[in-house]
Amino acid sequence: MWNYEKRLQFPVKITRPCPRTASLIISQFGGPDGEMAASMRYLSQRYTMPCKEVGGLLTDIGTEELGHLEIICAIIYQLTKNLTAEQVKTSGFAAYYVDHTTALWPTAAAGVPFNACEFQSKGDAITDLFEDLAAEQKARTTYDNLIRVIEDPEVREPLKFLRQRELVHFQRFGEALEKIKSDLNAKNYYYFNPEFDKQFIRK
Amino acid sequence: MLQEINETSFMVNDLTLYLDTHPLEEAALLQFQKAMEKRKELLKAYAEEFEPLTMDCVCPDTNNHSACCTRYAGQKHFTWSDGPLPWEGGSI
Repeated sequence: MWNYEKRLQFPVKITRPCPRTASLIISQFGGPDGEMAASMRYLSQRYTMPCKEVGGLLTDIGTEELGHLEIICAIIYQLTKNLTAEQVKTSGFAAYYVDHTTALWPTAAAGVPFNACEFQSKGDAITDLFEDLAAEQKARTTYDNLIRVIEDPEVREPLKFLRQRELVHFQRFGEALEKIKSDLNAKNYYYFNPEFDKQFIRK
Repeated sequence: MLQEINETSFMVNDLTLYLDTHPLEEAALLQFQKAMEKRKELLKAYAEEFEPLTMDCVCPDTNNHSACCTRYAGQKHFTWSDGPLPWEGGSI
């Protein structure tokens, strides 16, 4: 069960709207390495994770990613607030505006809508944790790309915070992988699937 | 005790929706207040007896029944991962 906290994990206060910037950042909402894919990935994988502590970690990181989704949405919302029709036409935002006005809809920057194929839930602890490690790095690269082209400090600060969190998650997933491996045969981690062939797990 | 927490919490959830659209209704406000007080008491009692159900109930000094991740039972530790995962059907 979840409860909502009526606050952002990192404050967002943008005073200069810029729909062009919003149309780039939206990739971290519904793009291939966005926060929605991140949250759904971890919250889907956690059920079959063979180690309770790692299941708990996936829950907590998956929950934090929902908070990140909210930060990204707040940024996009504030960047597209009170737009004039003229701004819509000249800012590269017109195609999105036609279908969604200024509402939030999960899509990649290039226009590909959110799709569950952006993430995997494979049912093998080693496979899934490597996917999670890669996902955090892909999200970090995307934040790097955004921070490189965005100049407004009011937008950059929350993006820099989110980028830092990707690093922390990467570290924690690395530790989770070590924990899973400590229950497996060190001579061959890939001899069996710890989520399915449970009889081989050392207790 | 978990059953009672579930029932009280569901009352809070349902009253929340009702009060979202009827924020001035006194009878519902009173019920909400009662249910919320009960929920807080129950969560505290559950954390002391078993394990914390929310982050706000995590307290390394008051609940340390689980031996997981500890060298000895009762060792001070981060209790958040104590107890069964909810999807394992543990605490019914």
